[in-house]
Amino acid sequence: MQVKVAIGTIALMLTMVILGYSVLREPTRLEHFAAAELGRSIETGANLYNNNCANCHGVDGKSEECYDSASGELIGCQGLPLNYQPLLCGDATDRMIAMNWQGTKQAFIQSTIASGRPGTVMPTWSDQFGGPMRPDQIRNLANFVLNWESEELCSGPVITFDWAENVEDFLAAFPDGDGANGKALFVTYGCSGCHGVPDEGVAAAVGPDLSAIAETGATRVEGQTAEQYVYHSILLPNDFIAPECPNGPCAGPPSAMPANFSLRMATNPQDMSDILAYLFGN
Amino acid sequence: MATFFDQVKEMGFKQAFVAKSDEAVERLTAGMNISDIRSALRGDEPRRPNPRLRPHADGFWLHIRPSFYHNEITRVYPTFHLGWLSTFMFVWETITGIFLMIFYTPSPLIAYSNMWNILSNVPLGQLMRNMHRLGAEVMVLVVALHMLRTFVTGSYKKPRQFTWVTGMLLLVLTLMLSFSGYLLPWDQLSYWALTVFLSGAESAPAPPVINQNILLILQGGPSLGAGGLLRWYLLHVLLMPLLLGIFFFVHYYKVVLHGFSLPPGREEIGEDSAKRVPKNERTYFIPDILTSEVMWTALLSLFLVAGALWFWDAPLEHHADPVVTPLHVVAPWYLSWSQGWLKLAPKTLVIGFIPALLVAFIVMPYFEIGKSRRYADRRVGLSIAMLFIAFMMVSNWMGTPRFRVQSSPDMEVATKLLPQEGVSPILGIPPDYLWEGEYLPGQVVDGNPHLTYGLEVFAQQMVRHSCTNYPGTTIGGSVLDDCEENDHRMPDPYATMTITQVQNGLMGIDINISALDPENPDNYLYSLNWPSFRHVDSNYEEECTFINKRC
Repeated sequence: MQVKVAIGTIALMLTMVILGYSVLREPTRLEHFAAAELGRSIETGANLYNNNCANCHGVDGKSEECYDSASGELIGCQGLPLNYQPLLCGDATDRMIAMNWQGTKQAFIQSTIASGRPGTVMPTWSDQFGGPMRPDQIRNLANFVLNWESEELCSGPVITFDWAENVEDFLAAFPDGDGANGKALFVTYGCSGCHGVPDEGVAAAVGPDLSAIAETGATRVEGQTAEQYVYHSILLPNDFIAPECPNGPCAGPPSAMPANFSLRMATNPQDMSDILAYLFGN
Repeated sequence: MATFFDQVKEMGFKQAFVAKSDEAVERLTAGMNISDIRSALRGDEPRRPNPRLRPHADGFWLHIRPSFYHNEITRVYPTFHLGWLSTFMFVWETITGIFLMIFYTPSPLIAYSNMWNILSNVPLGQLMRNMHRLGAEVMVLVVALHMLRTFVTGSYKKPRQFTWVTGMLLLVLTLMLSFSGYLLPWDQLSYWALTVFLSGAESAPAPPVINQNILLILQGGPSLGAGGLLRWYLLHVLLMPLLLGIFFFVHYYKVVLHGFSLPPGREEIGEDSAKRVPKNERTYFIPDILTSEVMWTALLSLFLVAGALWFWDAPLEHHADPVVTPLHVVAPWYLSWSQGWLKLAPKTLVIGFIPALLVAFIVMPYFEIGKSRRYADRRVGLSIAMLFIAFMMVSNWMGTPRFRVQSSPDMEVATKLLPQEGVSPILGIPPDYLWEGEYLPGQVVDGNPHLTYGLEVFAQQMVRHSCTNYPGTTIGGSVLDDCEENDHRMPDPYATMTITQVQNGLMGIDINISALDPENPDNYLYSLNWPSFRHVDSNYEEECTFINKRC
């Protein structure tokens, strides 16, 4: 019996020592697990982003490289950039201020994903509002988007461009457009995905046909030349919906045409000049 | 009676304090004072009248315990202390379970984040959860072994048939308790295990109206959701423990009533002498049995605490998702046999057979009425038991995905390396060693043993699931088998693994596998892009250190 008492006592003391050890390492362990929870949430968010968001916001969140989810072809990005300074940098970011948002950045992003952006092609994603995602999925997605915030992104200058009202004023400020480069840009900006390639006879698939835009453009809005009309429509596609698309009357407003070209071309406004040169054959 | 102050006046503080402590201890133990306890621990003969019998007569806790046992049953054989250890496991699960209850809400909206809160925000939360989950597995094992022991020593025979009946009910309740706890984390593992269970309940051999209503009651609505989670939570924390507690007392009362059965060879055939223990063959509960029980309790606690800290980690998969079915849905090991049976026979037959088997077990002692408990006289019964155990083990193996449910070979390779749930040799690579680039299976990366190991496993998996039409082709140094007719393996595949940086701290790991159709070389027979992500903080490498999650 004495042996049993000894074994039992030793076992109990060892148990206590192990428990004491686990208490001591607890603060570090909790930190690890808090980081692991966020890390795994970001991983799950990355998968959700790839499957649901990348075809409008781009594979790297910059709204530059978007692929059609069915065919895998390069298409124009419809969404706003997310890997983007005015959305992510600082506690109260530019977009939050523009929306007069009083809550946190996390809440801003979650709420935008959950309820969508009325008047644009961004749908509601939360199952509370008829979308497909549960609250935990929206949280994972928001964590993934927030993870784009980095020193590299936030230390760079904010690039904006003040677009002139009139196309003449705009063109006067830049060298003459290069039509050949404009044709290349017409593809990389994703325009050709919907409008085809006018001078090669590749027909428009979704958007209005642009092969005779120099003539038809002038008839669309009273008081606007064809060039002014195209310039205005690239920057603000919702202001006028063209009457004829390949699949019947064009839908909208909101227009199916992405509204983010004023942002995307801000880094190099010469692109606009080149694309106009391509379309109008100057 | 003199008050403490009177005593202090009379004999001084020290003397009075000793006397008062002695009195307090005697009251707490219902009859043993300090010197009685010390003499018991020293192993001295008790004084007369024996104070060590008084806690049984006057105390609450010991009044249901016998005051002495037969010498023959106090050793490890024949009981292996499994009954006591089962009882202890129930207490252990209750204590750790109450701790976890404090941090848990049974709602699909937050149950899963509660689990992460327990892991990342509750001091000792992970240890408590691991101890509870490991304890559940150990409890199932201990209770099952207890039943096996009772069968082998023939202790279910007359007059102990009803003890066996209550024991069988306790076994079923233990399994149900363990399984009902399975659902509560609301992760993919829970959700799909319960979904399989419920689809079984739905196909029981009964009229549809009964099956559908049982299903409705069990899942709390037309589909498994908030209602179902609440119901299974209440089953787990309220109904099952209550029933188990009730049957435990019936069971133990019957054990004491009939006495502990002696080893089979110890008594005449047909005789039951458990209740007549000669004076010279008695072992008293205090101190011998009590110290023995405390020792086993301490040893099992040590095993559970150390196991939960270093060796065994409770799984937690992704959030439950009704629209994403995992590649392999696996039952817990103690129910894996039923999954094996489902692969052999129609569902309705299997689901009908299980309760029938259970009833057969319960009523067995009333039909198996051979008088002798000796092993030599029970050759048929013991052989049947051995065959049954072997059958259950094979069934358990058949319940695993290795038997008959392999999916396409490219998916098998991809999910082995980058599984939808849990860890793997690739996910276990420490983040510092996830170097960007494109790699081939079996490639050796200089200065990077972790990545090299991952690619070696990649090669092994590719070899296992591939064949070749050009004899002698190798992957990672191993020669591929030649393709046969109707081969389900990939013919001469090409596979790569690409590691890219996606975001700060987030790596993308893609596996690409393709194989051309030998009959029609313009077509891909297999073409898979399997993307996955790994965050530097996700801590998979630490998860890999537990022996139940090896990478």
